Amino acid sequence: MKTLVKFEFLKILRRKSTWIIMAVSLLVTIFLFGLLPVMQFQTYNSSGVIRGLDGIAYKKAEISKTSGTLTDEYVTETIRQYQILFQDPENVGYDGTEQYLIGDAYWDFEAYRGSLLSLIASNYDEPGTSSGYNNSLPTMDVSGGTDFYNQRSEKIQKLLDDPSNEMTQAQKNYWQSMNRQVKTPFEYGYYEGWSTLISCFELFMFPLLAICIVIAPVFASEYQAGTDAMLLSGKYGKTRLVRAKILASLLFGMAAFVIHILAAYAIPLSAFGIDGWDLPVQITNTVIPYPLTFLQAVLVQTGVLFLVLMALIGLTLFLSARMKSPYLVLTVIIPVMFIPMFLTPNGTTGIYNQILLLLPYQAAIPRWSNYISYTFGNIVFDVFSMRALFYAAAALVLILWSGRGFRRHQAA
Amino acid sequence: MKLELKNLSKSYGQKQAVDRINISFVPGVYGLLGANGAGKTTLMRMICGILNPTSGKILLNGKTMQALGEEYYTHLGYMPQDLGFYPDFTAREFLLYMAAVKGLEPRQAKKRAKKLLHMVNLDREGDKKIRSFSGGMKQRLGIAQAELNDPDILILDEPTAGLDPKERVRFRNIISDVAKEKIVILSTHIVSDVSYIAHRILLMKEGRFLVNAPADTVTQVLDQKVWELLTDEQSAEIYSRKFLVSNLHHEGHRVRLRIVHDTAPACGAWAVELNLEDLFLYYFGQEAAEESRTEYDRAALKGEE
Repeated sequence: MKTLVKFEFLKILRRKSTWIIMAVSLLVTIFLFGLLPVMQFQTYNSSGVIRGLDGIAYKKAEISKTSGTLTDEYVTETIRQYQILFQDPENVGYDGTEQYLIGDAYWDFEAYRGSLLSLIASNYDEPGTSSGYNNSLPTMDVSGGTDFYNQRSEKIQKLLDDPSNEMTQAQKNYWQSMNRQVKTPFEYGYYEGWSTLISCFELFMFPLLAICIVIAPVFASEYQAGTDAMLLSGKYGKTRLVRAKILASLLFGMAAFVIHILAAYAIPLSAFGIDGWDLPVQITNTVIPYPLTFLQAVLVQTGVLFLVLMALIGLTLFLSARMKSPYLVLTVIIPVMFIPMFLTPNGTTGIYNQILLLLPYQAAIPRWSNYISYTFGNIVFDVFSMRALFYAAAALVLILWSGRGFRRHQAA
Repeated sequence: MKLELKNLSKSYGQKQAVDRINISFVPGVYGLLGANGAGKTTLMRMICGILNPTSGKILLNGKTMQALGEEYYTHLGYMPQDLGFYPDFTAREFLLYMAAVKGLEPRQAKKRAKKLLHMVNLDREGDKKIRSFSGGMKQRLGIAQAELNDPDILILDEPTAGLDPKERVRFRNIISDVAKEKIVILSTHIVSDVSYIAHRILLMKEGRFLVNAPADTVTQVLDQKVWELLTDEQSAEIYSRKFLVSNLHHEGHRVRLRIVHDTAPACGAWAVELNLEDLFLYYFGQEAAEESRTEYDRAALKGEE
């Protein structure tokens, strides 16, 4: 069996196309995940724009000044300082619709607190609305404190009770229970590397496609080359060989994807820094129900992507065992992977949305702040658990079926 | 060792590719002759367990293929028509891979691969990529892979197709060497290939055996069916259009014709001894004869090159 797996692995690696596809895919991944965000990064200080690594270093230093625990007192004090600056007309600009801080007030206070102010302000917005911190915070009554975390709970309750979300009591209970596990007060700080990663997950569709392209010939090329008759007439042609082909494909797929993951994570994290790995994801949006740090969130989504990969390998092998050419396999795989890219969910409920949010491209987008529930009887699953279950089951079924296609192949 | 086919049939829709074949194979070389589409490959693939029969049974030493399961395949060596290879593998890697598919232990596989590469005269090319191999070298590698598990039943489907005469002779000798105490079923539509090595001739047409006879007596089934006559060139052309001419030879201004026909084609014609090619021509007609000759001419041309 080991020998068969080795040779099947060798067959994949010996093809020139494997190396070309993997090299292109890796370069694209490095460019999209690492080089592009770093090259495009820019921040400003009073002297002008600072780009690339210098900009990152500047922003990191500036945001570190705001790092700390987001206690009610801290939030109240931040809002109060902002309001004081707003009370001086010298500090305030007006563009006809909005007022905003200008001059030293902006550079000394708001410039590096933009994300924090935005996070605080959004906590007091109605679900699904965003008024902007320069509109809401200057006039907010903070005389009795801000009650930041109660406000968060109220906002989440409103969100759960919103009729448009069509939530059952079981679903509401599920989300409330999850929310209770979110530790408060939040720790706040710099997390640019992680936010870059989280915003790029769907780009992993390209390495996933590349792996499927490489795997597509595993069975189909035997039919195409005419080696099927010879293999199937061997003692293990219908048994161990099939398992070896599947194992080699999974091994290759996993190894290739790990390399892509490492490249995709290593470059932005080394450029932007790993700072913030232990901060809660709620500091990007307070309504996020998942009690996870940035590192945990990235690991959860990476896990989902691995299951998507396994299912796609399963589907590719399933088709490869039934189609006479690897190109035919790709005529199915590519639409399955990329048609969901052109479809937009119009909510989180209803069959269309629930199915769409499970499909490969959409499953690569985490949607941490969406309360997407799948209910079976009294059991409620969040979107990550559902995706994990769906893809694990799909991988298992497809992988088992793929072998059957080759075993039953008639070498006519 | 006894391989039995009982009422074995295969149909594709309305077309009956193999039609209720009954035969018992015992050790020896069986030359399976037939024109393209006669059902030879379908029959062989059913014996190899890679194509399900529509009806009928295949038994090895009294046990069905299904009952024997994996064990059945340990007795089998198959060299398919249009043999495919992995161009990025070396010959040795290919044999080791096929040995693993056939269930040989790695150490045993290495020994067999070495021995077989030597047998098919590819020991010096063993570590070269298959993409650099000629057609003849690939065919020799094909028989080497079929022999890896030292099978009791060796099934060779058109093994000499596309080879030049030198390669074909070499190939025939290899088959003769490995055939001892085995059931060898050798399919071809090139008559001369089987006439040298087959012990028994099976003539297949439209999915059925027309002839199943020992090679040395097979021609006796048709007595007084082959004629020779000497004629002028103009008449030779007329005879060629009217009869199945298995050979035409110019002798000065005269032409010697060899004609396959139930009765004497002309007054001056005399009966001659039948050979396998005449037999083939008798059953398969002009089309098959041309097919066979074209293949032979192509091979001969290759040899001249």
